[in-house]
Amino acid sequence: MKSLGFFGEYGGVYVSEPLMPPLEELEEAFLHYSQDKAFLTELHDLLTHYAGRPTPLYHARNLSEAWGAQIYLKREDLLHGGAHKTNNALGQALLAKYMGKTRLIAETGAGQHGVATAMAGALFGMPTEVYMGAVDIARQQPNVYRMKLMGATVHSVETGSRTLKDAINDALRDWVANSRNTHYLLGTVAGPHPFPTMVKFFQKVIGEEAREQIQVRAGRLPDYVVACVGGGSNAMGIFNAFLQDDPTQLIGVEPAGQGLETEHHGAVLAKGSLGCLHGMKSLALQTGDGQILETYSIAAGLDYPMVGPEHAHLQAIGGARYESVTDEEALQAFGELARSEGIIPALESSHALAYAKKLAQEVPKETLILVNLSGRGDKDLLQVMALGENA
Amino acid sequence: MTTTTPHLKRYQARFSQWAAQGRKAFIPFTLLGWPDKATSLEVVQTMIESGVTALELGFPFSDPASDGPVIQKAAMDALENGFTVQDGFDMLREIRRMDAKIPIGLLVYYNIILAQGIAPFFQAAAEAGVDAVLIADLPPECADEVYPIAQACDVELIFIVSPLTSSARLKTIERYAGGFLYVVSRLGITGTDEKTDTHLADLILRLKQETRLPVCVGFGISSPEQAAKMYQYGADGVITGSKIIQIVSEATGVDRKIVLTSFLQRMLNDQ
Repeated sequence: MKSLGFFGEYGGVYVSEPLMPPLEELEEAFLHYSQDKAFLTELHDLLTHYAGRPTPLYHARNLSEAWGAQIYLKREDLLHGGAHKTNNALGQALLAKYMGKTRLIAETGAGQHGVATAMAGALFGMPTEVYMGAVDIARQQPNVYRMKLMGATVHSVETGSRTLKDAINDALRDWVANSRNTHYLLGTVAGPHPFPTMVKFFQKVIGEEAREQIQVRAGRLPDYVVACVGGGSNAMGIFNAFLQDDPTQLIGVEPAGQGLETEHHGAVLAKGSLGCLHGMKSLALQTGDGQILETYSIAAGLDYPMVGPEHAHLQAIGGARYESVTDEEALQAFGELARSEGIIPALESSHALAYAKKLAQEVPKETLILVNLSGRGDKDLLQVMALGENA
Repeated sequence: MTTTTPHLKRYQARFSQWAAQGRKAFIPFTLLGWPDKATSLEVVQTMIESGVTALELGFPFSDPASDGPVIQKAAMDALENGFTVQDGFDMLREIRRMDAKIPIGLLVYYNIILAQGIAPFFQAAAEAGVDAVLIADLPPECADEVYPIAQACDVELIFIVSPLTSSARLKTIERYAGGFLYVVSRLGITGTDEKTDTHLADLILRLKQETRLPVCVGFGISSPEQAAKMYQYGADGVITGSKIIQIVSEATGVDRKIVLTSFLQRMLNDQ
């Protein structure tokens, strides 16, 4: 490989030998096409006319009034597919096409990445198979149906904790057997090199747009950029453009589930230790023996015992800081955005909102807080209804 | 750390001894602590009594991404039955007491090693009598993290070669590899499957020309007939895993020992 993709001590390529040749092939293709004019033009065209980029930056005045700081929302919820995942799915599917691959596979947690991959598969005429934990299938039925409508096959993963991490294990197993014709369209800034770097490359458009938009709308850079972190792709996508901006503080928000003091959370950056899984070194929630723990969050898309290696690195060097909010706080923010602005956010993005609310209460009113509203909440309605939350 | 004195490593001694007798190596695999500690030790004892060439023993891991459904389930069961890494090392020590000469290979995922710390893990492995460690998810590109420590502990590293491994990659692997080359017979995951890759003959031929190490084939080798085909291709031995887990799962009590012994004997003798 040209590089092992380390971010400080995190990242790398920790896979079994049969996956090394396909990863070498992928790295080579990515390095080539990410500089290729025809590829970039085609991708830009798709993002504009198919997916609906640029997405708006919205100054949420009612919410700003209520929370006590200027809240700007980067509206990835308005992207085709309903979440930022489309950016990456289109990018990788196009790359797969240029590489001559004829089949796509993906893992999915909340189902948003599966939906985005199914869309791309339909668009490019590539058979698509999505691995999804049985637990996630039960709580994300609308997304399962959307994937099937678009012609994808959804495999229920019945091993381990039957959530995202197990879906990744099964997708890796599929890839080992079928890498000659198949591209594994990994959904977040995790996994073996080149995935963390490549997914960031396809998601960095979020931050590039937002950085320009907020300077036009508010006349300056934001004081804070807040994004939820599961694997961390929407956060990396928006953080990247602000990494060099000293005055802007970057805050990733992890799921505290039922509380950091309980066993039922997914706060890897807060509570994890150095581990190696899914082809990368990063922080992991695990036992003293190195067995990976089952995580918990109301938001399926944040329910993952590892985190993208660059986030672990940013935390280590102080390039970003990481906070967490509970299910209850996220649900409250979910309702507040719906009532005050008429926008129903994804439960994942509600974590970023919930932390922005806490932050707003501690800072002067003119403080600019840019929140990545990474997805819309339609997929979560059945789950929230089942909890008996009312509007 | 163990002081290293020049000696013939156990794998080297065993492979040259068997080759001199014109015999092919047969290396059975099982998971330590599966289905429970006592049964697991009994299974290994049966292997030793049957006269197998070497042992390949795994520590159960919560996320065995390189394994097929049979071994995945066994790992989950062992962990649910309370397996700890400490148990694993205790069992290895006991197994070494059963047979002072048999080469013992330990198959682990890297996370288990990192959780112990690389040096403490290899010291514990050496002290328990392990000859070699195969780290399922550590490619040679990242092997420098482990290799000097393993060497200092006098533990060899075993590496996997797949039908996709190029000659250039094989050279890199050879810099670190000890024991034998573990060739995956096909690109699927482990498991019992009748299909074998047609390129396998070419691969084994190439490996025999390009490497100094014995070449053993694993992944989906579940019968003497399949093993015979590998020997025809030029393999020095075979490794059988999932089939053994299957046999042990399906048999009970006294029966288990009889059925397992009969399978091991056939693999050893029908060459």
